Amino acid sequence: MRKQRRITRYLAIGMVAAAAIGLTGCTAGGSGTTTPDKEGNATLTFLVSESPNLTPEYWDAAIARASKVVPGVTIKKVVGENTPAYAQQLFASGQAPDIFAAGIANGLAQKGELAEYTRAEMEAAGITDFTSGTINGKFYGIPAGAQAIPLVYYNKDLFAKAGIDGPPATYSELLDDATKLKAAGIAPFEIGGGGEDTWATTFTLNAVVAADMLTADKDWFLKREKGEVKFTDPEFVAAAAKVAAITKAGFGDKDGMTRTYADMEQSFFDGKAAMYPMGSWFTAAADAKKLTNIGAFGWPSDAGKPAFPVVSGAGMNVNAKSKNVELAKKWSLAFATDKENMDAGVITDGAISTVKGYQIPENVGTLYKEMVAAYDAAVAEDATVPAWGNTTGDGALPPGFNDKMVAANVDLMTGKTSPEDFAKYLDEQYAAAQK
Amino acid sequence: MSTTQIKSSKPLPQGRASLRKRRKSLHSPLHFLLFALPGAILYFVFVLWPLVLAFWSSLTNEDAYRPKTSFVWFENYAKLFSDPAYLQVLGNTLVLTIIAVIVPNALGLGIAILLDRSGWAFNAMRAVFFVPVILSSVVVAVVWQQLMKDDGLINAALRPFTDNPPGWLSDPNLALYSVATIVAWQSVGMCVVLYLAGLQSIPKELLEAASIDGAGPVRRFRNVTWPLLAPSVTIMTVLTMIGGFKIYDQVKVMTNGGPGVGTTSTLAFDVIQTGLSSGAVGYSAAKAAVMFFIIALLSMASMKIMKKREVDL
Amino acid sequence: MSIEDTSVATEELVEEEAQSLSNRKKKRRWRGQDVTAGSPSRAIIALLVTAVFIYPIYLVVLNAFKTQEDIYKSPGVPVLPLTLQNFTDVFTRSDGLFWTGLINSVQITVIGTLVATMVAAMMAHYMVRSTSWFAKLLWITIPLGLMIPAATTLLPLLRVLDTFGMIGSIFGLIIVYIAGNLPFGVLVFSGFMRSIPKEIEEAAAIDGAGPIRTFWAIVFPLLRPAGASVIIFLAVGIWNDFITPLIILGPGNGTTITVGMYRQISEYVSNYGAVFAYMVLATIPIVILFIFLQKYFVKGLVSGASKG
Repeated sequence: MRKQRRITRYLAIGMVAAAAIGLTGCTAGGSGTTTPDKEGNATLTFLVSESPNLTPEYWDAAIARASKVVPGVTIKKVVGENTPAYAQQLFASGQAPDIFAAGIANGLAQKGELAEYTRAEMEAAGITDFTSGTINGKFYGIPAGAQAIPLVYYNKDLFAKAGIDGPPATYSELLDDATKLKAAGIAPFEIGGGGEDTWATTFTLNAVVAADMLTADKDWFLKREKGEVKFTDPEFVAAAAKVAAITKAGFGDKDGMTRTYADMEQSFFDGKAAMYPMGSWFTAAADAKKLTNIGAFGWPSDAGKPAFPVVSGAGMNVNAKSKNVELAKKWSLAFATDKENMDAGVITDGAISTVKGYQIPENVGTLYKEMVAAYDAAVAEDATVPAWGNTTGDGALPPGFNDKMVAANVDLMTGKTSPEDFAKYLDEQYAAAQK
Repeated sequence: MSTTQIKSSKPLPQGRASLRKRRKSLHSPLHFLLFALPGAILYFVFVLWPLVLAFWSSLTNEDAYRPKTSFVWFENYAKLFSDPAYLQVLGNTLVLTIIAVIVPNALGLGIAILLDRSGWAFNAMRAVFFVPVILSSVVVAVVWQQLMKDDGLINAALRPFTDNPPGWLSDPNLALYSVATIVAWQSVGMCVVLYLAGLQSIPKELLEAASIDGAGPVRRFRNVTWPLLAPSVTIMTVLTMIGGFKIYDQVKVMTNGGPGVGTTSTLAFDVIQTGLSSGAVGYSAAKAAVMFFIIALLSMASMKIMKKREVDL
Repeated sequence: MSIEDTSVATEELVEEEAQSLSNRKKKRRWRGQDVTAGSPSRAIIALLVTAVFIYPIYLVVLNAFKTQEDIYKSPGVPVLPLTLQNFTDVFTRSDGLFWTGLINSVQITVIGTLVATMVAAMMAHYMVRSTSWFAKLLWITIPLGLMIPAATTLLPLLRVLDTFGMIGSIFGLIIVYIAGNLPFGVLVFSGFMRSIPKEIEEAAAIDGAGPIRTFWAIVFPLLRPAGASVIIFLAVGIWNDFITPLIILGPGNGTTITVGMYRQISEYVSNYGAVFAYMVLATIPIVILFIFLQKYFVKGLVSGASKG
């Protein structure tokens, strides 16, 4: 009995100790909310996502620079997914941070969850591009830079090996090249993405729709929003049919559909496929490896119009319920327009900066320079189209719709569903998501 | 889920005298305040109350992307059973559950019999089967993903024989069975452990006696081992079945519900997906409620069965 | 399949077979065919089956010690020299993912398991010994807890946590684990509790001991085998849990070791060596606990119940 009592006592002591550890742990962890004090100092939470390009080190350094400009702010970095669905989950569960790095405004802004930036505020910070990214005409993110999503990156060595001189100018040339590559035993396209990274499978659809439909009518998705056009309209079904035909012809990387996003990038670097439709952030990864055998082109339409789909970054969304909205906006603007941050954005994320007076740093890679030159040319010719899959403002896909489209697109690519049924499914899901 | 509570819920036979005596000491308000209340409060607030809230929410059209919520009675439930996507999810879960019951129980029993021998080698092998039991299903899912992806190890082994090895996780017709395999693999360990415990509690004298009477291994199994093991088999069947209906982790990690639309989506995965990513909170709650009813029904039915067994024994 | 469900079953099984257990201890007679010794052919078959079964685990452990290149080139076989680089990578991640996850998981598992075990034991005592309406209410509602799949109540649970300002906090997660694991603990303990003659407690009560002293001095020590098995089952369950911390902790306050593994895989780099190393490291603590408590695990389940 004596021994048993001793054991009981040890257990009790152990529990007290454990509880003490727990308490300190909880204090150290803190809660997710803002805690301003009377001098206006505040701790703000900032949601970022990490990737092979955007490493933890990148974010820490970038945050530190912006905080130097805006005194009185302590930024707490939190790491999560960079999608509207995830942001929505955070709002739904009461865990929304003060600032979101990626553009997640659509759906949340309409519901009043996000704080609005005034044009004056942004002009004062040097923002010049007000062409897109608005929601009902208002700004909820900072359009400091743009991304081209997607362009087609190609491996010049593999093209040469298959006897192809340069990038294709028309869609039929693209198919010819793909046939030549396949005949030479080279997988023409790195397309895929499985599990959590299934989203990466949609870049082909993004490209085809941009080339075939948006080069003819930039406002197609604005019209879709108003119900003036439908996915079952012939132009969209035809675009979907092209996507299905590419995989049916065996032009994809046959191991691609279960790759992670990071694995796909690696496979393309390893020369497992010749072409890789991807966002312009890819230039950063290629340049970081000092690769010189990679070029870029816009997905060509039948008539030979290349697609240059662009989305103005509309990130740095501020939670309307943040306890210090003004400070959060101020810090966000400082973050978005800090010279070094923009340099870092260029070098690590391939961002195309549109901030007034910004000069590209000398040490950027060749692929990035090539891509920006193409962007400038496209802008000069007014040839850019909205990157419809990634638009976060007006004309954006309704919240929750993208997940459905991504899943259905896999069925389209594997031939499980026909282009007609795919289009019909999208119309149904679009209606359900519009609410 | 078990008969333990059924037994306990029967009033304990006791003399009136002892009852009165106990009331004085054990039934003090202190006993209630210190022993029952803290746990009960936690349980009611953090387990039962959310369940009530879920039922309430399932009767509304609550949506994360729309500020206004109104009461819609059973509209969500009506919608549910005419929603082909939901019927697919239900079908997936059934297929998964059937496999997750049959395969691990059959394999587990076979392996347990195989390993039910003395000696250090058999002891060591038995220990091996403990390992997956304590592994996180996330670890299990990730490892198997490496094996099953298109250029994974399984296909690397198959490539000498075929140019087009199966897309274990990328073929919409196959992925569900691949997920089931992983679930089954992890349950096999548990089945082996439990069946071994059952086998080792069978008196060896019985087997020896049967052997002396000239019974071969097959007859020994049928006439001695199987009847004595049957309660364990019932229990494992019930547990793997309920486990099957709750599958989430493996799907989330390995396929995210795909490839394609809902090919591997399960009840639990669908509930979370509908509520969090699509924001249809009310509809998701209705799905959750249906899932709860299915599992509660299964649990209660199996408790009945087990109780009956106990009476039979 | 949840490990917790199984323990209830194991106990069940064990209670039913407790009778036959005592027989086993009797000396074996060596007449007729020996039915317990393994033949060499059986050993070989068993070895093959075991090898196939354990192959995935072997891969994890092996590849944790190989470079990324070697994993791609020859995933199934050892490549010398083995490297510890993957482990270094995990330890030195700049965001300290592994370390914060480890600290959080240890806190959550230790506190959650111990408190849930204590509270459940006390609640079981009340439920077994009391005949009040409240005890009856508990007997009706507690088994429901085992039937609620986490997925079904996660969203409303978030709302409840939000009300108390406990969302995204480790404290909130611990509370959820304590509450959620009570039904399991109560059911296991109440089974054992019934085997303790209430006369002992009554004697103590007559001697003037209050319920608390009676419980801690007399009942609780007798519950130790059950306590050990509850602890191991809860600890394994909490340590390995994925969905609850994924959603309750959110992105804010670090993460648990199991959710961290998911992040190590999906977002950062396709460095599989580090992923495997992370898995090995994340599993070691629970394996150690298991090795320590394995004795209690088997004993607690087998002999503990047979006392009753």
